[in-house]
Amino acid sequence: MKDGNNKNYVVNGGLGLISSRLSIEGPIQQDKSSFILSGRRTYADIFLKASDKFKDNILYFYDFNAKANYKIDDKNRIYFSGYFGRDELGLGSSFGINWGNKTGTIRWNRVISTKLFLNTSFIYSDYNYDVGLKNGETKFNVNSNIKDANIKQDYTFYFNPKNTIRFGFNSILHTITPSIFSGTVNNSINKVGRSGLENAVYFNNNFKANQQLTLDYGFRVSAYSIMGGDVYNVYNGNEKTSSILLDKNSFGKTYINLEPRITGNYRINDFSSFKLAYARNVQHLHLLSNATASSPSDQWIGDSYNITPELADQVSVGYSRNFKNNTYELGTELYYKRMQNQLDYKDGTNINTIADVESALLYGIGRAYGFELLAKKKMGVLSGWISYTLSKTERKIEGINGGNWYNAKQDRTHDISIVTILELNSKWSVSGVFVYNTGNAVTFPTGKYSLGGQTIYQYANRNGNRMPTYHRLDLSVTYENTNKQKHESSWNFSLYNVYGRENAYRISFQDDPLDSSKTQIIQTALFRWVPSITYNFKF
Amino acid sequence: MQSKIFLYSFFLVLSFSSCDKVITLPTADNEVKVVIEANITDQSGPYFVKLSRSINLNETNIYPTIENGTVVISDNTGIKDTLKYASGGIYKTKLIRGVYGRTYFLEVTVDGKKYTAQSTMPNKVNLDSLRINIFPINGKNQYSIIPGFTDPIEIGNCYRFIQKINDTLDKNYNIFNDNLNNGKVNQRPLNNGNKDLTIKVLDFVSIEMQCISASAHLYYYSLSQQSGAGPGGGTAPTNPPNNIVGGALGLFSAHTTQTKVIFIPIY
Repeated sequence: MKDGNNKNYVVNGGLGLISSRLSIEGPIQQDKSSFILSGRRTYADIFLKASDKFKDNILYFYDFNAKANYKIDDKNRIYFSGYFGRDELGLGSSFGINWGNKTGTIRWNRVISTKLFLNTSFIYSDYNYDVGLKNGETKFNVNSNIKDANIKQDYTFYFNPKNTIRFGFNSILHTITPSIFSGTVNNSINKVGRSGLENAVYFNNNFKANQQLTLDYGFRVSAYSIMGGDVYNVYNGNEKTSSILLDKNSFGKTYINLEPRITGNYRINDFSSFKLAYARNVQHLHLLSNATASSPSDQWIGDSYNITPELADQVSVGYSRNFKNNTYELGTELYYKRMQNQLDYKDGTNINTIADVESALLYGIGRAYGFELLAKKKMGVLSGWISYTLSKTERKIEGINGGNWYNAKQDRTHDISIVTILELNSKWSVSGVFVYNTGNAVTFPTGKYSLGGQTIYQYANRNGNRMPTYHRLDLSVTYENTNKQKHESSWNFSLYNVYGRENAYRISFQDDPLDSSKTQIIQTALFRWVPSITYNFKF
Repeated sequence: MQSKIFLYSFFLVLSFSSCDKVITLPTADNEVKVVIEANITDQSGPYFVKLSRSINLNETNIYPTIENGTVVISDNTGIKDTLKYASGGIYKTKLIRGVYGRTYFLEVTVDGKKYTAQSTMPNKVNLDSLRINIFPINGKNQYSIIPGFTDPIEIGNCYRFIQKINDTLDKNYNIFNDNLNNGKVNQRPLNNGNKDLTIKVLDFVSIEMQCISASAHLYYYSLSQQSGAGPGGGTAPTNPPNNIVGGALGLFSAHTTQTKVIFIPIY
């Protein structure tokens, strides 16, 4: 987010049908320090209150942002920022989910010399979710959170006109608390949070070899140390082979990895260039997703004695060029990514209640490759861009799909988006967004059988089917009220899903209620058109 | 932010007017598999094993039965029982008795191919009572049933509850284990039905409680997690892991059974 205006006070806002926002910015001391405060709130649920049938529904999101900066002297400047956001979903007092993020950052920007700059940051973040259920006599909450305390220093050294060197370090203390039940429902085996310390140093040089060639190369060394306070079980397949109890604040195994990277950029001439890149990335926190859709109840887990860091190596080549004096820009890229130490869990695992989630994990590899194309028109009455991606993302995990490659759920063969903005005159503008993508990779049953009087579906390959193609057009018209001085305002009218495409949200299978000897396939679409009006102002 | 607003619109409209329509999907190849449904309970026999075959998704639910199979059940005390074919793909036991803690071995041969499974009958946990749990949603009372039982202190107990509302089977799976609330009196209600079949006043609700093995729990719990496909679906569905070796579908389950009925009065 931008820094506040350090000359004048400005109020910015927007009033809409389902959400509103407001921000205030201004100087603390003229030209020396400034602040910006902003907040947003959706209130879709007030419409539900009007209906008897849905009056207990709770549904909103809000967030606050605060940022301030202070210039100590010509060489030192301090930035403060904070964010707080929360989502609430619920049904009266009987059910509720809320999740949110809190972060706070202090950054000290120091000019050590004309060639050397230093940024020192302290960052704290806390993500948590809470599911509460009150159902007559049953009352319980499930809580989970991830807290990160982060300190880092980033140096930028303008060594000479040809070399810009960046280096620094970063230490993060991760504390991850898994789903813990409280109330009338409790975990049978006490679960505690786990911590890990991640340390990294990096070095990077941007080297302008000549007018044509720029090389950006460097490395990062990252180390993740398992920390004590919990029992770590070691598994060999299904077999638990040992248990390691580490004392609080003591260190267990440390994983050290080198992450090299290099990008070469070659300017062929004034309007075209060629790029070649390689990078390795290491990830120490791993997502265990509980559903096909990512939800706030997704669980994270750090490296352990069984879980090793996820590695991803990516190579890419790119070509870009401009046309007609920079009016048009075309970029293309071809990439291949190899992933190691991927995680999933065994079929039928409840990752929220299982005593040790590591007992149910499966490990494997992944790969992703594709072609990306981006064409932009940057100037003129009509501007916008078209992007197209052709890609494939697959995983291969022993214990899933017979150990064969299968499509990752986010695998989308084609992904197109077109964005256009048409400036009709100084007051009116029209913009449109069109998106089109291959449906998610999903698993439909191929057959069925009967057991205990119930129809049970038979499945073949994991994610071997596709949801229907998703496409949608959104249009919006903006009217800028420009004749008043100092007080700017605009009206925005928009229509989501202009041609009312019933995009599939879910496909489910059931016995036909009219003829239970048949299977009925139901496609659920969420909505067709969503109109919206927003009034924006600034004074 | 934009996407967040749309997310909310999703939920908003979902609760107002999500729109369902019946679609058809192209016929997919399906590998026909042998289906084994075998149960031994703590009640007196005979017990039954049903052999059938799976069919393609778009076929009418008439499952071919297997009449020429051989079915043998033995136990860890040396009793061996060769089942007798009755009718409709069902084979009947003659000798075997369901006893707590005893392990049973199933051997099925169909067209020269052998399938084996084993299951140990858990100890019985008594179903003491049924209670009605009332909770209002949007001003309307909802009813669910809390089965009263005390989970034993040893960890690893698994339960399955079969709910019938006025003799109609509720197709929800109510599958519990003691990963939560081990050793405590149960306070967790069963599912209160679905949109086609809910518990209302003046209903008779019958609950069958089964103490099941860990492998049966895994099978039924996996089924309970399957809820369609797409961003709004559950976990990626697969054939639930079962205890049959040899590639057949179905389950061999030695379990206890107890049934109680409760009437929902007018409050």
